[in-house]
Amino acid sequence: MSVYKHIYRAYDGKVTPVWTRVFVLARYGFAEAWSSKITIGLFTLCLLPPIVFLIGIYLANNSIARALMGGLDPQGLPINARFFLILLEVQSWFALALTSWIAPRLITFDLADNALPILLSHPISRFGYVLGKLIALLASLSVVTWTPCLLLFAYQSYSSPLPWAAANLQIAAGLLAGELIWIAFLSILGLAVSSWVKWRVAATGAIFAAVFVPAGVGGIVTGVLRTKWGFLLNIPFMMTSLWQRLLGAPESARANFYLPTGAIVATLVLACFICAAMLNARIRAREVVRG
Amino acid sequence: MMEVVGKFLRSLTQQPWGLWWIQARRLIRIEVRRNLFTWKAGWVYFLAFIPTLIILIHLSVDRHPAFAISEDTSVLAGIVQLYYIRLGVFFGCLGIFSRLIRGEMIERSLHFYLLSPVRREVLLLSKFVAGCISAVLLFGSAIAADFALMYAGFGAAGTDYVFNGPGLGQLESYLAIIVLACLGYGAIFLLLSMMFRNPTPAAMLVLGWEAINPVLPSLLQKLSVASYLRHLMPVSVSAHGIFALLTVETEPVSAWAAALGLLLLIIAVLFYACYRVRTLEIRYTTD
Repeated sequence: MSVYKHIYRAYDGKVTPVWTRVFVLARYGFAEAWSSKITIGLFTLCLLPPIVFLIGIYLANNSIARALMGGLDPQGLPINARFFLILLEVQSWFALALTSWIAPRLITFDLADNALPILLSHPISRFGYVLGKLIALLASLSVVTWTPCLLLFAYQSYSSPLPWAAANLQIAAGLLAGELIWIAFLSILGLAVSSWVKWRVAATGAIFAAVFVPAGVGGIVTGVLRTKWGFLLNIPFMMTSLWQRLLGAPESARANFYLPTGAIVATLVLACFICAAMLNARIRAREVVRG
Repeated sequence: MMEVVGKFLRSLTQQPWGLWWIQARRLIRIEVRRNLFTWKAGWVYFLAFIPTLIILIHLSVDRHPAFAISEDTSVLAGIVQLYYIRLGVFFGCLGIFSRLIRGEMIERSLHFYLLSPVRREVLLLSKFVAGCISAVLLFGSAIAADFALMYAGFGAAGTDYVFNGPGLGQLESYLAIIVLACLGYGAIFLLLSMMFRNPTPAAMLVLGWEAINPVLPSLLQKLSVASYLRHLMPVSVSAHGIFALLTVETEPVSAWAAALGLLLLIIAVLFYACYRVRTLEIRYTTD
């Protein structure tokens, strides 16, 4: 098509700083994720366990409430690293459910509708696009993971009759670090899997499968080849071991299945690199036309 | 009463069974080809044959003293019970059977079938049979390969165990378990894909239900595919740790009763699916 008008000039006004542009995508991604009623339902469900744990902390620190409950034994409700480990594990698995619902909503629509060329024609890089989506997902997951965990830690510190917080700072640091590692891993995994599965319906299942199927394969490696290194494919086992060490909780795995922390971290980093490579291959300004 | 039965039988014989058979065969052929011979089906091959690959490595790398047969038998039973039934067949059937109806809706091609002069029940059951054939072929051949490779390294002792010992009986049981697992999960996921726009959350609830099922009371254990299959296992795999303490041991059920129970569950689910498909409506704008 011929262009006859030659009066167009490049915009020379004030330009939005590059680093803030990803937040536009993050904002829209956040709005998209939370526009679904199921997201709200899942979020509500995710907040139920912290309420149960909150009641547990209240009972453990309030002798009158324990007496009203029929004289519960205060030793029966120990608020320690193990207590917070259970909370962390429960919230983490709820976070997986939330990821499997939200991550496909963030990315598969853009890919299935061939919207990426339009999005990437704006002054935003591919890295910026992924980062925007990642921020939206991380923010959503933060609300159900480390935020309620740390709030409960703060409540325990406040309600304990004895000085408690200073002696248990490792728990708070472990909760924060453990949940941040988990949600960062889940976010990049969720986006990578969603970018490769065209249908949102399938992507939801694929995210679950990406966590649980390697765990089964790792179990087979351990059983058949008689090696503990098969557990490096078992994400639930690996993360539980890591969380136990971060919180200073007693280890539940048998001694012969002990995995070094360095190996766990290296596997998680490798998995993140694979996910980044998957995203790099798929997030491109191209349109696929079949027919 | 006899008159009603006779009338029903007469109406059955008057149905165009020949035409339905031809239509079903064509539909099954199309679906089986789509399930097995496309690049998109590669992930199901991965799910089915990844244990085979690991056992192949075991065969070529490790030594196989004769006394290790019993240990390898337990490992194989664990692979069937904990990997294939809980993960491999579960996710494989979720992908295969969800795609049969919901996948066609997403691809906006289901209306071609619904506009053709085929009874909806014939369409649904043909798709179900095609899904079953695909899943059983894949996972059945994977189990057979796993079994063969597991005992191949033992030489004469392995051959003796398979042909003169309990080996072949175990293989038969594993194949029967895989067939029933494919049928059971297939029926459930086909129904879920018709009931929900996104059947995966419901399927994950089924996964969770199956996972916690051993710790539930025996009455609730009957509402699970895996619980029926557990009774058919030729080698029992015991739970470890806290899970073993929570596991509720139900009364042993005979293999026939377990198989019949599961088949009844499958028939009930398929009947309901046939009932639902009669009123199935497509709204591509919302799907």
